[in-house]
Amino acid sequence: MHDRIFAGINLLICVALMALAWGYQAPFAYEPVGPRAYPLLLLSLLVLGALYQVSKPAKQTEAREEPPLNRQVIRKIALCIAAMVAYAALFEVLGFILSSVLFAVAMAYLYDATRVQSIVAGLMIAVGLYLLFDYGLDVPLPLGLLAKLGN
Amino acid sequence: MDTIHYLGLGFGVALTPYNLITAFCGTLIGTIVGLLPGLGPVNGVALLIPIAFALGLPPETALILLAAVYLGCEYGGRISSILLNIPGEASAVMTTLDGYPLAQQGKAGIALSISAWSSFIGGTIATIGVVLFAPLLAKWAVAFGPAEYFVLMVFAITCLAGMADNKPLKTAMAALIGLALSCVGIDSNSGVYRFTFGTLGLADGIQFIVLVLGLFSISEILVLLERTHHGHRAVKTTGRMLFNLKEGAFVLATNLRSGVVGFVLGVLPGAGATLASAVAYMSEKRMASKDNQFGKGDLRGLAAPETANSGAACGSMVPMLTLGVPGSGTTAVMLGALTLYNITPGPMLFQNQPEVVWGLIASLFVANVMLLVMNVPMVRIFTRILAVPTWALVPAIAIVTSIGVYAVHSTTFDLFLMIGIGVCGYILRKLDYSLSAVLLGFILGGVMEDNLRRALSLSNGELSILWGSPITLAVWALVGLMLAYPIFRAVRARKSAQLLIAD
Amino acid sequence: MKTVTLSKFLPLACALMLGSVNAQAGEPSRPECIAPSKPGGGFDMTCKLAQAGLKDHHLLDSPMRVTYMPGGIGAVAYNAIAANRRDESGTLIAFSGASLLNLALGKYGRYDENSVQWLTTIGTDYGTLAVREDSPFKTLDDVIQALKKDPKSITVGGGGSIGGQGWAKIALLAKAAGVDPRELRYAAFEGGAEHYMALMGKHVDLVTGSASEIRAQRGNKIRALVVYSEERLPGELASVPTAKEQGYDIQWPLIRGYYMGPEVKQEDLDWWKAAFAKLQSSEEFQQYLQDRDVLPLNVTGQALNDLVKKQVEDYRKLGEEFGLVAE
Repeated sequence: MHDRIFAGINLLICVALMALAWGYQAPFAYEPVGPRAYPLLLLSLLVLGALYQVSKPAKQTEAREEPPLNRQVIRKIALCIAAMVAYAALFEVLGFILSSVLFAVAMAYLYDATRVQSIVAGLMIAVGLYLLFDYGLDVPLPLGLLAKLGN
Repeated sequence: MDTIHYLGLGFGVALTPYNLITAFCGTLIGTIVGLLPGLGPVNGVALLIPIAFALGLPPETALILLAAVYLGCEYGGRISSILLNIPGEASAVMTTLDGYPLAQQGKAGIALSISAWSSFIGGTIATIGVVLFAPLLAKWAVAFGPAEYFVLMVFAITCLAGMADNKPLKTAMAALIGLALSCVGIDSNSGVYRFTFGTLGLADGIQFIVLVLGLFSISEILVLLERTHHGHRAVKTTGRMLFNLKEGAFVLATNLRSGVVGFVLGVLPGAGATLASAVAYMSEKRMASKDNQFGKGDLRGLAAPETANSGAACGSMVPMLTLGVPGSGTTAVMLGALTLYNITPGPMLFQNQPEVVWGLIASLFVANVMLLVMNVPMVRIFTRILAVPTWALVPAIAIVTSIGVYAVHSTTFDLFLMIGIGVCGYILRKLDYSLSAVLLGFILGGVMEDNLRRALSLSNGELSILWGSPITLAVWALVGLMLAYPIFRAVRARKSAQLLIAD
Repeated sequence: MKTVTLSKFLPLACALMLGSVNAQAGEPSRPECIAPSKPGGGFDMTCKLAQAGLKDHHLLDSPMRVTYMPGGIGAVAYNAIAANRRDESGTLIAFSGASLLNLALGKYGRYDENSVQWLTTIGTDYGTLAVREDSPFKTLDDVIQALKKDPKSITVGGGGSIGGQGWAKIALLAKAAGVDPRELRYAAFEGGAEHYMALMGKHVDLVTGSASEIRAQRGNKIRALVVYSEERLPGELASVPTAKEQGYDIQWPLIRGYYMGPEVKQEDLDWWKAAFAKLQSSEEFQQYLQDRDVLPLNVTGQALNDLVKKQVEDYRKLGEEFGLVAE
């Protein structure tokens, strides 16, 4: 069933993208193929595949090793994704260190650490990785709020 | 005979204590950088160039350092593929297919040591290849024009079909999704922006690192969350840390074949290493007997891509040294480093500065030995990663992944993109689609379209250019062979079955 | 347990704060050069020149970092600077003629050439055409005559898409021959050196490129037909004639340099200008540039603004002529 829903969504997306791709034309018509033929070809193959999947879903051949998703797991996964999105949003604003501390503490807690464990782990991971990357590996990371403190 | 003389000269340079220590530090740093998901040889090499300058290293030593880091990174990338199911770069994708299952079975030590051994063999085969055939190979690399590349990609896609197993449609769909994703961004022929939705963040398309870390790292994090919830414990590595002779002998033939494949394809600039590991894996899988464990932890399935991509890593030095054309992202950075040292790679280099060329070739070999010597005892330490509790490991992976992605563009757009891709990847994974197929489709797709368009631009739209040269014909023949082989084997199997019944 | 952790972290936190304070009065903090490309290649090189030069001549105390921000041949970096990172006094961004061309063709989105502050140029390069050594084409005129006879008789390779650098050089030639550039057989290769490989492999007959690329290709069996400069170049390429000499007035210079955010203070801008002026006046550095296939060029201040405006204007006209500017 899930397969069918997915195939249906896939189908809709592909059709929408095909409509979009139809408009791709070089301002300067000049090479024999042009920019839209290849994506259109791929998308139409995807549409055909998805149509087949909607009409005739694959049989479940192998027994699932993972237990099915229940409400609690889905809630946790949603929380995890929300934490990642928040991290991405705060990455430059708060700077790497602050945002990473918050994120790491939250993530550790989500993965069943005790409160003390998550706070210690969060601090160590964030500061340790900052030192490793910014000083050790020369990958510049945003300082964010800390930069304003420094100046 | 000159070759041997110069090679001796090269080893003379590479084996001085100073250079040996440099090679040691290089492989060590490389392994660590490669181990971090998102950072690969490009970062490792780019990182060390300024340091090499600051230390005032002479050019040969700097080159040795860079070569050592390069190979170290390549090896380090395998560690995260095997232990965490997160390939750090394109050529490590195939490694996850059998490496991760092996680690899950508690055989992480064996997997890592086999991987080190395979890399060593691949590197050695390729180094010998470079010594014997470098000038000849330059011709081989040049002979590949747009049409040849296109046909080669068709061949690679045919090989992909070997991944299908019992779900051909899902694998095909996954590969198609990957191919379609490669269309995002500026069209390299006409300059039209495709599927960018007005965001400049997508102007150059989806960056490979963003895609691979989204698909693998983020989805793995979510899967780990599920497992934690259900109270799964981390897998403990049990028993041996080293593979034994029997296992070594079991994969030897695979090593030798894949090493040659890796080297030959690695010489081609472009998708060399990835292509090589995919082709090596698929052809080994096809050759294996019916009851193989490929995809579930077959040692050959690990050895084949490992040997091939380390062969390709050395092979990609050939076009750089002989033609001055970088064969990969990493060699492009090395080329930049050489220019800063006022060394212009190309045919003149062999004549004017043989000590540099042969020093580099010798140091490739030395670095390969060094990797083996250094990493085999360290396998025990690496497998400790699995013993880190999930609540500490996951935040660390998530943050390192984010750094790797952020470092690509230095914009947070990529972080959001990665999370989006990650959620899609998680759904695909839950529905049993092959993420590796998506990734390979993505890598091959771009090269395929570009070269098809180039070929047709050059031929003025005539399709005949696609089978106009001996190389294209030979590759088409291989495509035919790849398609016909399963049929052939099915027929033979039926025949022998009939014979059995007849008996 | 906790106190131990804390006592370990306190000095560390202090060190972090201190790290961001200026090492020396006047010198901007956290000097950084953004190469708007992947590592390797021209922009990276431009940044490395500043990094190595400023350090070797002791003009910068804290190490300059090179960051990569690829995307749309500089578009991503240009937008990031013009929109978000407007006042970073330590951040330089490498640009080249290719950036200006894309800017002129409207590929940088809503920003134009007045959205940033142009700091200085460091060097220049010139467009070239090259063929295989055994090619029947000996002069620019041979190519033009062949194009006149049949524009489809020559296959051309270059770096970048239609409307890009590589293509413009052959389009200009087509214009000189009185041929519609649409008629050409042109294949776009990845930047760098792929098109030279295609040339050597006989997949194309002619490649467009630049003088520094030709120098990087020395030893391979190729021959430069023409260099699109005003006068002959010094050094190794002195034997390559200009287009003007061969009777066609085509020039294609490619400047390389740095720009900064629109709200960087004048004093910081002046600090950088002074640093580069000192650097450029060093003979050692001039030699350093030449050894790395860069022809030194030092234009700054108002002169640079004028130069950038003029080039963008020229490119825009060219784009309109060839129908490339998106309306």
